[in-house]
Amino acid sequence: MTLDQKRWVIGGLGFLFLLSLVSVQWLEVARRQHESGAARASVSTPAASRQCVDCHSQVSTGIVEHWTGSTHAEKGVACVDCHKAEAKDADVFSHYGQQIATIVTPRDCARCHPTEAAEFSASHHSKAGNILASLDNFLAETVEGSRAPFNPHSPTPGRAVQAVNGLAPANSGCQQCHGSLVAFQGSDGGLVTMRDLKPDDKGQPTNMDAVGRIVRNESGKPLFSSTSWPNTGIGRLNLDGSTGSCAACHSRHDFSSRRARQPENCGKCHLGPDHPQKEIYDESKHGVAFRDLIGEMNLDAKPWVVGKDYSAAPTCATCHMSANMRNGMKITHDPGERISWTNRPPVSLVMDTDANHAVVTETDPEKRRAAIADTADAKRNRMKQVCSTCHTPDHINLFYRQYDDVVINFNEKFAKPGQAIMSALATNGMLTKTQYDEKIEWTWYYLWHHEGRRARMGASMMAPDYTQWHGMFEVAERFYMELIPEAREITEKALRAGRGEQARRANQVIDEILNRPEHQWLLKGAEEQADAINREMQRKYGQTRQER
Amino acid sequence: MSDVRGWIGERVPVSIEGIAAMSNEPVPYHLKRWWFALGGTPAYLFVVQIVTGVLLAFYYQPSPATAYESVRYITEEASFGWYLRGLHRWGATLMIAAVVLHQMRVFFTGAYRKPRELNWMIGMTLLTCTLMLGFTGYSLVFEQLSYWGATVAANISDTVPVAGPLMKQVLLGGETYNDRTLSRFFILHGAVLPVLLILVLMMHIGLVRLLGVTEMTFEGEDPAAKKQFNFFPEHFYTELIIGLTLMLLLSALATLVPAEMGPRADPQITPEVIKPEWYFYVAFRWLKLFSGTTAMLSQGFIVFVMFFWPFIDAWLVRRFKYADISVWIGVVGALTIMGFTMWEALVAH
Repeated sequence: MTLDQKRWVIGGLGFLFLLSLVSVQWLEVARRQHESGAARASVSTPAASRQCVDCHSQVSTGIVEHWTGSTHAEKGVACVDCHKAEAKDADVFSHYGQQIATIVTPRDCARCHPTEAAEFSASHHSKAGNILASLDNFLAETVEGSRAPFNPHSPTPGRAVQAVNGLAPANSGCQQCHGSLVAFQGSDGGLVTMRDLKPDDKGQPTNMDAVGRIVRNESGKPLFSSTSWPNTGIGRLNLDGSTGSCAACHSRHDFSSRRARQPENCGKCHLGPDHPQKEIYDESKHGVAFRDLIGEMNLDAKPWVVGKDYSAAPTCATCHMSANMRNGMKITHDPGERISWTNRPPVSLVMDTDANHAVVTETDPEKRRAAIADTADAKRNRMKQVCSTCHTPDHINLFYRQYDDVVINFNEKFAKPGQAIMSALATNGMLTKTQYDEKIEWTWYYLWHHEGRRARMGASMMAPDYTQWHGMFEVAERFYMELIPEAREITEKALRAGRGEQARRANQVIDEILNRPEHQWLLKGAEEQADAINREMQRKYGQTRQER
Repeated sequence: MSDVRGWIGERVPVSIEGIAAMSNEPVPYHLKRWWFALGGTPAYLFVVQIVTGVLLAFYYQPSPATAYESVRYITEEASFGWYLRGLHRWGATLMIAAVVLHQMRVFFTGAYRKPRELNWMIGMTLLTCTLMLGFTGYSLVFEQLSYWGATVAANISDTVPVAGPLMKQVLLGGETYNDRTLSRFFILHGAVLPVLLILVLMMHIGLVRLLGVTEMTFEGEDPAAKKQFNFFPEHFYTELIIGLTLMLLLSALATLVPAEMGPRADPQITPEVIKPEWYFYVAFRWLKLFSGTTAMLSQGFIVFVMFFWPFIDAWLVRRFKYADISVWIGVVGALTIMGFTMWEALVAH
């Protein structure tokens, strides 16, 4: 090789080396962008949706931007693929040459995600919209609002209020989590829902009269009732007969699994005084570890298997839905598959479920066995598979023993007695049939629906403060200091009103309960323990609880 | 300009012309063949290792509680950390490969023979230092391979008669792997071994300069033709081309096959399969073939033979009157090393 040739080779290699450094710089920038969430995968919009994207990127930029960052966009799934509708669908309308519908239902998602949709439709989540005959619904629609519109109390300056929508608390409260009964405005002034449309197996309406009553604007677009839309409640009752909303967890329009894996996602609904699961999780060691180690959670991984792709901490999704090493890496969209107690009713029930995934309440052992399709033990074993990623079998079994003990203590000491007292008052004619019109009904509701659930759920997810101070402490205070005195007051009132026999029967129930060993401290006193406490306080703080 | 040179010349009385003449010594003609110009590659790679190693040491924290996390930080978060770690990791692999290739070239061309016997032994010291740098290097990551590799190495040392327990103590800084083991490895890897390597390398290059590069004549060459050519610019260009090619190769490897993280070291979980880096495969396979003490003593003997090979070779040539006897022994040795390495690479256990 001549000297000149060598010079050329050196020049060429030097240039290539510089190029390699530039490519390293480019990779570093791309990595930084990806980490900060600014990076976007290349998106090629399918022809059918190109017009939608072009127009909506001008008029509603946010949804297009969200979609652009989604896996859907990466895979070439765009607007029309999800929003497309058949000519016979109740909610179809023509929009710039495409037949589309506004609401995308689980039936639509099932076109590409059939397994996930089937699991979800079997879940309790998908049935959350069936709350018409529930106490909660009565509270919102009647006690907090009004089932029928009513006249304003007085004029509102600056606003002409004609009629008050008494369903507002339910529409903006309950239904935003539970899901609405999706409704179009009806030409007769009423509403048109799936109950009127009577959709067939394909989700298409069979009642053409109802379809005809749907109010449409000048371009033919059907008009929703504000009582039901916007709504992404997880048990939404859709016009095509399907129930639920995938967007409840997989927020539109990026449908991010990363977000669905984080506790804040579940916290839209699972928080507050009656089911503070999100706060309970935050208090637990699991939640503490998650906050600290979120950077090690590998939240973008596909798949996302605990024990393989991450092990820093579990989130709600980890335990209740996601894949783990012990279950053949099976994901489920039915969180109930791993829950062994239902703590929703006043008295917790063992989660033996029937073929329809409903809790079996049968007490006869033979009939019960026959009715059960999936046992609580099987569900618990599925959860234990998750636990065993990090914990030993002994640890897991002893934890479950602690949890069971809290639930059973609550059931036996307060829930069943509370039910018995309320039942004794009601059957002896000392309570009206109407709910929430008497103080003791609110007291009882607070006891089991708020405080009792907090205690049980706190124990289920290892949050000691929710189990004790926000839970059992308040349950006990509510029981001894409010429920019992209020029940006694009601029987006293009945006695004074000349209904001695009924009052005696109700009092007998209360007496029997209070004379049980676990309640005896109230009647017989616990003076020795009081003395011991005083002595200890004196020793520790130089004072007793009575004096300074 | 001449004022500046004069100012410096008064204070640093070194003749620039003298340095130029010294570094521009004529080199043998056979170095025009690329294969013979690879002696500088380990030195190139060593410079890369020093630069990238210093940068990595800015972030590395040598204790069991922090080591793995700090390497993870370098790999996943620090700017260009992944690239630096990739360069360092691949630099180590290529450096060991380059040292071995250089040594083989010297061996098969008989360049270790009188008067260069001592330089061969210095070269063996360099090889040992390089291998120890490799071992201490991957021990620092504190992944399963690091922990169990060090533990296995310590247990192997323990089997050496008499000195074994002390060697284990020195390696681990205690009876077992402990909080002080990593800092020991770090100081060895980042300070002791590199400084030792630089000193020994200076001796190596010094002797090359004093004794000159072995001159070779190839078949078909005119014995009367020019024997040497100038270092500048021709050989310098050759070295520059090799250096740039190496940097390109390293950059490509660091980018396309980046250094990853294995599972974090866990003293409670013994991995089902544990293997060292590829350059220890031959020794590892040897250990599996023989019982502990036999394996260690025989390996020690082989290393001893390799160190003193120039003298053994001289004796063999005198004894058998056959100049190429070392070549055939070398062929058998090289094939054995390659065979054992492949064997270890291909089997699961």
